[in-house]
Amino acid sequence: MGKIFDWIDSHFGVKEPHKRFLQRTIPPNVNYSYCLGGIAFTYFLMLAFTGLLLSIYYVPSEKEAFKSIIAITNEVTLGWFIRSLHKWSANLFIVFIIFHAIRVFIHKAYKPPRELNWMAGVLGFVVAMASGFTGYLLPWDQKAYWATEVGTSMFGTVPLIGDYLIYAVRGGLDINGTTLIRFYSLHVLYLPISMVIILWAHFHMVKRQGIAKRL
Amino acid sequence: MKKEKRFYPDYLSEIIFVILISLEVLMILALLYYPSIGRQIDFTKPFQPRPEWYFLWLYQLVRYFPGKSAFMGTVVIPVGLVLLLLLIPYIDKGRNGRLKAMTVGTILLLMLLVLTLISVLS
Repeated sequence: MGKIFDWIDSHFGVKEPHKRFLQRTIPPNVNYSYCLGGIAFTYFLMLAFTGLLLSIYYVPSEKEAFKSIIAITNEVTLGWFIRSLHKWSANLFIVFIIFHAIRVFIHKAYKPPRELNWMAGVLGFVVAMASGFTGYLLPWDQKAYWATEVGTSMFGTVPLIGDYLIYAVRGGLDINGTTLIRFYSLHVLYLPISMVIILWAHFHMVKRQGIAKRL
Repeated sequence: MKKEKRFYPDYLSEIIFVILISLEVLMILALLYYPSIGRQIDFTKPFQPRPEWYFLWLYQLVRYFPGKSAFMGTVVIPVGLVLLLLLIPYIDKGRNGRLKAMTVGTILLLMLLVLTLISVLS
């Protein structure tokens, strides 16, 4: 085992940086409130994991979407549970982003040199909200349809370009199969990729700048 | 003055403990309250859906701007709130910087809480 790992490491060179990472010291005044962001990240990983599982059975089409949700809930082994985990992870993700932001705010951890990291966090929060909005349509039931109808109609209130915006968001005048595919694509490709990039930047800056000192 | 901790094993064991608790809370909630299957779409019966709790503040805000002023509630104010939040590090500058940032932060949080509460109770 050690030999195989050493061979891999001779090509990757991951041993040294990981040693440094694992053996670094942590400031003594760090307490459990510093875990809030980490908890949010845990729920993000659960969202990614359960999302990958759901995507195996979910069909993003006008005719099949609702049926596939019924199949996931009633037929697929533990499908109802995976779906429930996905939904709850999403809610808890948002809750803990808010708690984390409040903690950072109270500790003034947004002050230079960490101002860009604060902004990355706000962007991450916006992406999380957008993921919640696009994910809401995917079950393709009565609630999802009319909620998205109301939500997307807000784009129409923009002066001058409102109608174009609505058309761009819905892929038509009304919500239809095109909207579903558009939202599905945003929900499983664009937004998670954006989130991963934002989180990478977020953690990279934490590593570079260290944990902010208490007041 | 407390002793400095090392990431491994002191801090890592605490992190793993917190992760396990978070996952347990998630499992319990997911097992107790699982989402039901909704009703099939009925295009002829529009009904007023309620959004997820984290959009309720926006849902409530929009109601205060009927007709032509809707643009304020749907775009101007929400985008303004996000911009304010983004600019917090720059609001907290100079003398009284922290006071200004505190005021903005508290107002934002209270506004979201109050709007959400109004929406939940109505």
